[in-house]
Order: sequence, then C-alpha cells, then structure tokens
Amino acid sequence: MEERQINILLEQAEVQRRLGNHRGATELVQRALALDPDHAQAHASLAFTLLGAKRLAGAGIEARLALGLDANDSFIHHVMAAVLVAERELDDAWAHCLIALEGPAATPEAHVLGARIQILQGDVARAEELLHEALALDAAHTAALSWLARLALDAGDRTTAARHVALALESDPADRDAHVVAGYIDLASGDVSGAEQHARFVLNQTATDEDGLALWAAIQARRSRLLGAWWRWNTWMSRGDERRRVALLIGAFVLAQIAIIVTDELGFEGLTRVLNLAWLGFCAYTWFAPELFRRMLARELGTVHLDPDF
Amino acid sequence: MTYHIADEPIETSLRAYVVRPSTPLFAIMLGGAWLSWPWFAFNAIAMGSPTRRKEIALCLAAFLGTGLLGALVIALARAGVIGSGAPLRLALLAIVTFKLTITYYISMVQERTFHVYEYYGGPVRAAGAILAAGYLLNDLVIGLSDNPLWIIIVSGGVAGGVSSGIAGGISGGIAGAGAGGL
Repeated sequence: MEERQINILLEQAEVQRRLGNHRGATELVQRALALDPDHAQAHASLAFTLLGAKRLAGAGIEARLALGLDANDSFIHHVMAAVLVAERELDDAWAHCLIALEGPAATPEAHVLGARIQILQGDVARAEELLHEALALDAAHTAALSWLARLALDAGDRTTAARHVALALESDPADRDAHVVAGYIDLASGDVSGAEQHARFVLNQTATDEDGLALWAAIQARRSRLLGAWWRWNTWMSRGDERRRVALLIGAFVLAQIAIIVTDELGFEGLTRVLNLAWLGFCAYTWFAPELFRRMLARELGTVHLDPDF
Repeated sequence: MTYHIADEPIETSLRAYVVRPSTPLFAIMLGGAWLSWPWFAFNAIAMGSPTRRKEIALCLAAFLGTGLLGALVIALARAGVIGSGAPLRLALLAIVTFKLTITYYISMVQERTFHVYEYYGGPVRAAGAILAAGYLLNDLVIGLSDNPLWIIIVSGGVAGGVSSGIAGGISGGIAGAGAGGL
C-alpha cells in the first residue's frame, strides 16, 4: 500500500518536473520520502528535481544518498552522472553514465547525457554516435535532434543542421535548444529577423537563458558593431558559474592595482590618475551595468512581438 | 509530515534580521573586514543555514589568514626583505586580494542557502543604513589602534586611491613600529 502511494507521488512529481514546476515536484517527492526515507528511487527523483531548480548542493547530497541505497539501478547512475556534469566532474560522470547506458533499460536521455559529456570532453565523433543511438530508440527525440543540429552547424553543414532542427521542432514546437540552433542557422543564412524570432521565443520563456542571450548578442552584433560588442561583453561576463565571474572581477582588480602601483612608483603621476579614474569608472560600471543590461533586454523583448505565424 | 532536504535552512528566531549575502559583501568595500566577516557569520546563524559551521569557519579563517599574512609582510618589511614603495604596496595588494577572494567565497557559499531561503519565502531585511553607518565608522574603527597589523586586518578590500592611501599609512606604521621596536 505504502509502495503504491510512493509510486503515485513519484509519478505526479515527474509530471510536475516535466512541466517545469520544480517546487511542486520537490514537495511531492518530499511527501514520498516522508513515507519511506530510505527509498532510493525517491532520493534519485529528488536529486533530479533539485538539479532542475539549480539547487546543486542538495542534488549532490540526494544523488549520493540514492546511490548508497541502491548501486545497481540505471536511473540512479543516470542522475548521479547528471549531477557530476553540473559539478564539472566529467570523468566520474562518464563512468556513471556508462553504467546507465549498459543497463537493461538504457533510455534516450542517458544517451543524450553521454553525448553531452563527450562534447564537453572534446570527442564529437563519439557524441554523434551516442545521439544516433538515442534516435534509434526514439526517432523523434527532441534533445538528440537539437544536439545533432548543433554539431552539424558547428561543422559548417547548414543543410543537415536545418533538417535536424525541423524534425526537433516538429516533435516539440516549444523546445528551447531547437529554437537556439534554428536562430543560429537563420543568422548564418543571413536571415536576421528569423533569428530574432527564435531568440525572442527563447528569452520570453526564460529571460536569463545563457544560450538565448548569446544568440541575441550575435543578432545585435549584426546590427551595430559597438552595441553588439557591448552585448557580447555582457553575455560573456554572465556566462558560466559565479566562480568564473568572481575570478574575472578579482583578476581585473589585481591587474588594475598593479598597473596603478607601478606607474605611481615610476613617477607617471598623470597616467596613475587616469588609471585610478578608469578603475573607479569600471567599479561604477559593474554596479549599474547588470541592471542596465536587464532593463535593455526587457525593453527589447517587450516592444517587439512574435509574428502571428511563428 | 515531510522530508527535510539537506540544503534547506532551519527555522530560527533571528530570521527578521537576515540580509542578502551581497550586503556584507559590499560591507567589505564600503566599511571593512571588521563589519563584513562578523556580519556574514551572523547572517549564517540568522538564516539557519545548513552550511553555517562552514561559513563561520571561513569567517574565522579570513581573520586568521589575514592576520598571518599581515604579520608575515610586517616581519619581512622590518627585516628589509620587502623594501618600502612598490614592493610593500604589492605585498599589501596580495593581502587585499586574499581578503576579497575569501569574502567573495563566503558570499558564494551563503548565496546558495540564501536562494533556497528566499525560495521558501524567508523574510529579507534591507540594510543600507548599516552599510552607511559602517562607512562612517570605518575610520574610527581603524583608528582604534595604530598597530599596522590591526589596520591590515580590519580595513576593507578597497580599490584605487583609497587602497594606496592605506598602503601609505601602513608603510608609515611599519616604519614607525620598526623604528620603535629597534
């Protein structure tokens, strides 16, 4: 009876997770775990949900708990691999992904995850193999098609990329990855307004989407070099995790201070003053720039609407 | 009955005093380490952060690390290994960089819990008045002692002219303390 109740809660959580309702999904799995705190599948499900909500610390703890309770389950290894990818532990992630792939019920999702790991490790050929294996299991798998399109575009094969993207969008017209790749294909073909529609679609779903912002920056760069450079700079600064941003800011601080100290000690008073002012200007800029960038993005997204046929 | 996730904050009676982790981060720039690090530690306790022990340990490590680095720089300056002028200013820059790095790190650790805290509707207090007070009190706190080690520890991770001003002051302090000691 209890097991059945737990399974119902986990199924409901899965539905909520797919709908993007991470909070609802989390609460459902928490209720399942209140019934049985040693339920390995429930811990794995919770880890997956927390990963989606970008709660990496909690996801890591739950995935490891699940693995400690059941080290033979393919899904648990899949979740562990996904967590390790987020933690940038790619070798360990691949080891867990391999176990998930060798399991009796290897899913297309596990193949796509494996492909992502291989791309991050630089083995594009192996990634393509895994993506084709995912399509062999599910010919309309949107993520596999989007990744194949991305790889084809990177290789300069626009025709294949367009074919894969068309299939991905046919399978799921709202898929974010497919829209991003479609935007780049349009941009490469000189269709800036087409690319803009795809970027807007992605950014209207999530205004902070990194790939969507990068596409938007590329579109802006086509319109004006100066504005494009600023967009590119902001996108580049906001890319990656907090650790990268902090390292960039502290690196800039150290370089500026060394330059100020050296010029001052060498007696270049004028230059020191200019460097000091430039540094203070940069400090002020880092205070207001993110807000300015956010407002500009909101204005751009708010004033132009999607074509009715899009 | 529900399951408690390890990254969720626990309930405390001090929740009304929780501030965004960016506030004590700004405090090291506008005020000094004397305000920033104890504030981070208090915020961790008030928020009921599951990583509060780590955050408090990091705050203590920040004070201790700065103290050790400061003592080393002062000793090397007194021994004549680090000359006055550019070498001393660069050595002090290394300490400021250490202070900024560890402060950003504490902020990042606290930010993770803060996201979850805010996600579940935890109250957040604005603390502009405390920041302003910290800025105004900074000189008073630094001036409590003319010991260069004190100045190194309690001052902030500040930039540009202010930084070189502190470097100048510490340089003078080291020279004075060195002469006194000798």
